[in-house]
Amino acid sequence: MSQEEPMLPDDEDDKRLMGLVAGGDDDALRLLVHRHHARLVGYLRGEVGSQATAEELAMEVFIRLHRAAARWRPEAKLSTYLIHIARNLVLNEWRRRGRKPTTALEFAAEPGDLSQGSARRVAELDEAFQRAILQLAPEQRTAILLVVQQELPYEEIAEIMDAPVSSVKTWIHRARARLRELLKDFYAQE
Amino acid sequence: MDNPEQTPFDQELAATLRRGRAVSVPGFADRVVGVVRADRRRRTIVRWSSALAATAAVFVALLTLSGTSEEALNRQTFALVARDESAQLADLLGAADDLSLLAPVAERPAVVETFVASGS
Repeated sequence: MSQEEPMLPDDEDDKRLMGLVAGGDDDALRLLVHRHHARLVGYLRGEVGSQATAEELAMEVFIRLHRAAARWRPEAKLSTYLIHIARNLVLNEWRRRGRKPTTALEFAAEPGDLSQGSARRVAELDEAFQRAILQLAPEQRTAILLVVQQELPYEEIAEIMDAPVSSVKTWIHRARARLRELLKDFYAQE
Repeated sequence: MDNPEQTPFDQELAATLRRGRAVSVPGFADRVVGVVRADRRRRTIVRWSSALAATAAVFVALLTLSGTSEEALNRQTFALVARDESAQLADLLGAADDLSLLAPVAERPAVVETFVASGS
């Protein structure tokens, strides 16, 4: 598995913008949101399976970021801090509702220039994967989303999840095994 | 995740998840700024309300705690009365009245009795 550093916004500039946000600069906040919201919403949609809920939670993440701006210390990358807040909100949301995320998916595949048959298979696979991911245990789901979808290194995932790297690796291993089991009909020939 | 040794399962898992990696929402930043401004206003109002309530509570507490006791009230009354000359005069007159009332009563002889006595 390659652990390439994804194309992240300049973290130093994030720190500078956070300083401005702490001083009440709404344009700096707008720029930060513009930079980070897409990946945050993508991650949250993977966690909760709903675009509307993902957007609500992402909104709450940025409100909390704004409230904490004056106290924020740049010990970690801002993107790490945002996902850390987002994960805590997801956990709170499940506790509040007393259940795990719904399986009502709103995931739409983007077939691009695929043929109609391929596009249908892609759509079916996407939906099957999304359903399977929502059936994972919370730690497994978060870990697999962060490593595969967000391409974060293990150390950063461990920081986000407040857990040792060894636990993160275990969760990822178990998530893969569980997904294989849930999707065995698609991969029976392997 | 681009390891060529990956199975089709691994490749499709990665492809599926990465398709949903970033979901850009048009106008999201403006929505966030709008909500944050409203949140800031609300928090300011709450902060001022709390400060006003605390001030009012302190004011009431001061009024209650600084209330004079009965003894202090009596002392203040006496002090006021002591500065009032008319009251002092009234007191003196009152004392004179009291003295005349308390003086032993000496029965004066009647006028006839006095006259008779001197004539005889």
